[in-house]
Amino acid sequence: MQDAVLAMLAKEPSHGYGLRARLRQSLGPLGESMNPGQIYVTLSRLEKAGLVVCERADGLPERPDRKVYALTPAGQQRVATWLAEVGWPKPDMAEFHLKLVAAAAAWLADPVELIAAQRRELLRRLREAQQAILAEPAGSKATLLLEGVVLRLQADLRWLEVCERAWSRGGASRADDRVEGV
Amino acid sequence: MSESSAVVQVRDLVKEHGHGESRVRAVDEVDLVVPEGQTLAVMGPSGCGKSTLLHLMGGLERPSRGEVWLAGQRIDGLSERALARMRRRSVGFVFQAFHLVEELSAVENVELPALLAGRSPRQARRRAGALLERVGLTARARHLPSQLSGGQRQRVAIARALANEPLVVLADEPTGNLDSAATLDVLRIFEELRSAGQTLVIVTHDERVAATADRLVSMRDGMFVDDTRLAGFHPRGLGGLIGLEG
Amino acid sequence: MGSIVLVVRLVLADVRRHPSQVAMLLFAVTVATATLALGLSLGGTSRTLYEQTRAATAGPDVVALSGDTGPAVTSALAELAADPDVVAHHGPYRIVYADLTTRGSVTSPVVVHGFAEKPGALNRPLVTSGQWVRSGGAVVERGFATALGVGVGDRVTIAGRPYPVVGIAVTAATSIYPWAAQIGPGGGPSDYTGLAWMTRSDARELASSEDLPVTTAVDVKLRDPAATEAFREAHRGSDVTVDFHSWQRKAEQDAVILRGTQPILVLGSWLLSFLVVAGVAALAAGRAVQQTRRAGLLKAVGATPGLIAAVLLTEYLAVALLADVLGLVIARLTVPVIASPTASRIGDIGGPTGPVIAAATVLAVAVAVLSALRPTLRALRTATVTALADTAHRPRHRPRLTALSARLPTPFLLGLRLTARRPGRVVLQACSTATTLIALTGLLSLSVQTSRGYGLNGSTALPNLRAENTGHLLIAVSALLIALAVVNIIAFTWTTAMEARPSLAVARALGATPGQVSAGLSIAQLLPCVPGALIGVPLGIGVFSVLSPGNAALAPVSSMLIAALATLLVTVALTALPAHLAARRPVVPVLSADTP
Repeated sequence: MQDAVLAMLAKEPSHGYGLRARLRQSLGPLGESMNPGQIYVTLSRLEKAGLVVCERADGLPERPDRKVYALTPAGQQRVATWLAEVGWPKPDMAEFHLKLVAAAAAWLADPVELIAAQRRELLRRLREAQQAILAEPAGSKATLLLEGVVLRLQADLRWLEVCERAWSRGGASRADDRVEGV
Repeated sequence: MSESSAVVQVRDLVKEHGHGESRVRAVDEVDLVVPEGQTLAVMGPSGCGKSTLLHLMGGLERPSRGEVWLAGQRIDGLSERALARMRRRSVGFVFQAFHLVEELSAVENVELPALLAGRSPRQARRRAGALLERVGLTARARHLPSQLSGGQRQRVAIARALANEPLVVLADEPTGNLDSAATLDVLRIFEELRSAGQTLVIVTHDERVAATADRLVSMRDGMFVDDTRLAGFHPRGLGGLIGLEG
Repeated sequence: MGSIVLVVRLVLADVRRHPSQVAMLLFAVTVATATLALGLSLGGTSRTLYEQTRAATAGPDVVALSGDTGPAVTSALAELAADPDVVAHHGPYRIVYADLTTRGSVTSPVVVHGFAEKPGALNRPLVTSGQWVRSGGAVVERGFATALGVGVGDRVTIAGRPYPVVGIAVTAATSIYPWAAQIGPGGGPSDYTGLAWMTRSDARELASSEDLPVTTAVDVKLRDPAATEAFREAHRGSDVTVDFHSWQRKAEQDAVILRGTQPILVLGSWLLSFLVVAGVAALAAGRAVQQTRRAGLLKAVGATPGLIAAVLLTEYLAVALLADVLGLVIARLTVPVIASPTASRIGDIGGPTGPVIAAATVLAVAVAVLSALRPTLRALRTATVTALADTAHRPRHRPRLTALSARLPTPFLLGLRLTARRPGRVVLQACSTATTLIALTGLLSLSVQTSRGYGLNGSTALPNLRAENTGHLLIAVSALLIALAVVNIIAFTWTTAMEARPSLAVARALGATPGQVSAGLSIAQLLPCVPGALIGVPLGIGVFSVLSPGNAALAPVSSMLIAALATLLVTVALTALPAHLAARRPVVPVLSADTP
């Protein structure tokens, strides 16, 4: 989040208000859940770290927000480093995997049931993301982000499928897992 | 849910293929009720019996055992002729391979079911025009299927499925031959149908397509292994999906 | 070597998969080649048989006949025998004109030749059963005896006098039955006449006691058997009118009996070949998608276009050549029956000659190539990927026809659209129906022909063998034509149904009933048949008029129109079963295919 805000200031100094609008536009519907104050919290942290400077804008007395933020040289340095970075957020699969192993070992719960529950949850999220995409106007850049979310969720669902196959083979008989139609 | 509002209902449905040793149960004692206005996705790996289930629901195949009800009428024992009339009136099919008639233009394909149902050519043409507009292909009405992209062909096929205002649209892997952009186009139409209250059964192996449904049934080896309601859950906020919160 | 093995293996696999198609190709080409070989073989058969009979019976080179009798004639004929070019002679002998009646009361004109009881060096009729003439006993010429149904031991009445038949014989001195008379009494024209022999004294007695017309003849053998014309020229202008009948003229007269058959066979073989090509090509087209796909598979694994062409063509060629051999064998076996409708000649016709074999083989190869050409070319031309993607021939869009059919009831809507898919096949089918009607028109017209019988005063108690032979062949060829046309209709219907399977499956899924689909398939077959039937009737009249003598009568137009209508009804009936079966095939396998 901090890096993204910094990078957005690289174009030109900006009000916190403007930054927030630009962020929300890029994130599309995903940005709606963003806390309105979050941007100011982030900016003040960056200021404390000496990466941005805050100046009062003159001649605009009627605007409620008169603070304009700009990058310091250190801030610019940080943006350059961030852009060159090739790191990638690691999906946290180990935790769920260990959950299944532990549940099975200690007879705490049926891993297949856990997988099914997880799957339902992911499917609901997928539906949400999917509907958000369908609601977006054509050509919106935010669709790309949602598309990424959808693909990620699909990958997770496929992994759950693999898990399910493995656990139901070793575990209880299929008939027990069977869920009758509603 | 009350059974009177069920558009499609199957009870204890069994479909076996082959004989003797090689006999396989494609559908194995399945029960299902699809209420009016529901969008139901049936998911599962290929060969799990989901397409067979769809064919049984539309009267394209006959079950080995069990009952199939469509709009309160039991159809598993009907004659081929009665089944054909029932399909004409009540069922719209959408196939993975589109199955448009190659030598007919888009609008001619769409009007075909209306003509088969005995409507006048003018009525059929007017209806077809309206449906093509609904799927956004008015400009392509006179194109042959070979002149259309995969996604456009499938949209024509959906328009065709709607020609006789069916009680239920049965879609068999409707996006199986489409790229992701074309898949989105098709999903947009399904979403529109869903909000218009069209009962829709979609068989798919694509989670993404399944996720647009109100309800998802998972199949393995001819049996249902899961039945999940997807609609009506309060979203935890999309931001949760990308870690914007916290 | 490896590729030959591969070709053979692929061909065998394909034959095993489609035995009925192979059987149809085999049957059809066999019929066509047999008919052609038969038609072409007939050309020389009369001469071959005449020459063999001539050799076996010491046939004369020239028979000199005088319409008169008496010492002047006898001496004039004896003078001929004295010609230095004559190396041997027989006669002069009497020819008595009489009627012969069998015990079954069949009466025919007959000429009785008065011969010595001991045959001489020239004109020695070959006794095929019984014995040679003896006093009081007659020998009947074999062709005549067969037509009369008399044998050795039967009694016949000649000019009211009873004679036992003591023998049956053949001769090359006269033309075949019923042209034994050569000249009529007094040198006038003769009627259809049979031949019998008696002893000289019996013949004389018969003639004088019943006051029958008599002519005189002498048989001569020339130094140069080919110089018959020169001999005739040398003896022109004698006081006595003498007719010279050379052996060549008799051989030609023999061939007259086949004059109607050869065109039927040759033309019939062309029509049959056309039907074969039409039917087999339709079947081949039905398999084209599969063949194209197979060619694509072979290309994908590295087969050269040459190999693919070889596989496709080899199958058709192999079957056609096998059929060619069968056809030639059938022609060989049936040619004696057809070539010799009378029993007046002996001898062996021999196998088909080189040119006949060549023509039949060319026909077989042409049928194979024409039938396999399109699928082969398409398979070769189609890119590998397209072929594997299983895309079929794409019919053209016909907006006007589609709009027109939209106004029609469902079976007609489906039928018209199915017809429009394959215009080429519409033409083939129309031609097929036209061919059927040509055959039917011929048959109908044949049934109203009145031919002069061989009995006394044209009585049909003895049927006209020439007309009968022609009629039998026409019936046989027409039956084959109609049989092939029937096979074609079924093949066309099935192919149409197989090709349109995706469209028909879609129509079924959209709510067309099986009844509507099968009616649509039948209508699709019927539509091209209507113009075919309309063209076929006048064509049939034309063909019949060309092939038959000028005085031939035509069947009434009304009966031809009924035949045309019946053909259309039969077409509908024949399409019903394949259409019914095709319309009730499960649609799910077609609809489940995941490629468009």
